[in-house]
Amino acid sequence: MFWKFLDDVNFVSRCRKYNIGLWQCPNFLFLVMGLLTVAAMFGTFFVSKSFDDETVTIVSVTIVTTIIVTIGSLIIRGVERIAEANVMKNEFISIVSHQLCGPLSAIKWNMEVLEGDGSSDNLQLTPKQTVFLNNIKEANDKMLKLVGQLLEVNRIDEGRAIFKSENVDLGEIADQAISELKDIISEREIEIKKRIAPDLPLIFVDATGMKTVVRSLVSNAIKYSRQKGEVEVDLKSSGRKILLTVKDWGVGIPRYQHRKVFEKFFRSANEARYRTDGIGLGLYLARAIVENLGGKLWFESEAGKGSTFYVSLPIVQKK
Amino acid sequence: MPEQEKKKILVIEDDRSLQNALVEIVHQEGFVSESALDGEEGLAKIKTFGPDLILLDIILPKKDGFEVLSEIKKDEAIKNIPVLILTNLEEVDNVQKALDLGATNYMVKSDFSLKDVVEKIRATMK
Repeated sequence: MFWKFLDDVNFVSRCRKYNIGLWQCPNFLFLVMGLLTVAAMFGTFFVSKSFDDETVTIVSVTIVTTIIVTIGSLIIRGVERIAEANVMKNEFISIVSHQLCGPLSAIKWNMEVLEGDGSSDNLQLTPKQTVFLNNIKEANDKMLKLVGQLLEVNRIDEGRAIFKSENVDLGEIADQAISELKDIISEREIEIKKRIAPDLPLIFVDATGMKTVVRSLVSNAIKYSRQKGEVEVDLKSSGRKILLTVKDWGVGIPRYQHRKVFEKFFRSANEARYRTDGIGLGLYLARAIVENLGGKLWFESEAGKGSTFYVSLPIVQKK
Repeated sequence: MPEQEKKKILVIEDDRSLQNALVEIVHQEGFVSESALDGEEGLAKIKTFGPDLILLDIILPKKDGFEVLSEIKKDEAIKNIPVLILTNLEEVDNVQKALDLGATNYMVKSDFSLKDVVEKIRATMK
């Protein structure tokens, strides 16, 4: 607790972390302004006490106010710099991701030609070559997915995401999302216990977005489960909402990390113990999508016991 | 099928590796094709080659895909040739702009496999 407090007031290390100079760093400038205000108050008090002259008081107050306003504007500029850096970071991610899409699609398409249907004479591959070709293809698809995720996050951050809502059967979406995960399910020998209420009403949401949400929750549950573990996917309507529950009995999230779970690039501290891939955007994206569709996403978790993620969506339909 | 009866496809794409893959698959599928590496060359080849369908990238040297598209649509002789856009620009305003200019379809490369592209070509040719 005490160390955390010390770390909070250690503005030098903070400013170094933000990668900006001391005189551009809001944390430092704020402290300077505070000290100066206190000093100025005492100063003015003593000056007005020792010189029985209004002019002296007025001049000293004016000088102090000018200095404080100057520092204030420096603080604002510091904050602006940080905000600008954030905008630049988003642009950078967007440009890099776009640029990566080109060569990645080139690899994908050329691979497809190689794989071909054999109608072209010189493209007959041996079974062994096919195995390695598939490895490259899988790796490339993974990369395309990561880049796609980065682009999606970028769109959401900049408010450019588009949701095409229609009347959707969430049960069907859940089935599709789970079947897309069949490789990792069989690799980790996970048993998926699916309970989808038969009378589930259609709801007006973006199908692709909701598939991303379910896939991300279920794949997290699988990744943080033990080998041969169990994952429960429950879908039912309660009142005027549809409630999706994804429960696992895996490593869980330690309490001190709970408030960081939905942050960008968050990886659980347990991460190291379990081999997983991904860049920590899944839950951030899932929450953004759910909230954009008017729903809520939350969780309960205990380290060593497992996690349960909940999504509730209002039952709305469009004729 | 005799050469002269095969449908002709023009591929306008500045990335050689993508262009090669497209040309190969198009041949495998029984089309005749020619290709261009920039917008100007593309426009010239539309006149000499007389394609039945055009695959058009957006980011191109000399003239970009939007310019090429609007010139095609302005020219009475070629304005009815279907144009499929193949690009990595996935923003809605770009899609809308291309469709407004008269593109038949808009495909984002990284979302589509070559098989999908061929399917779209066949669907458009019908």
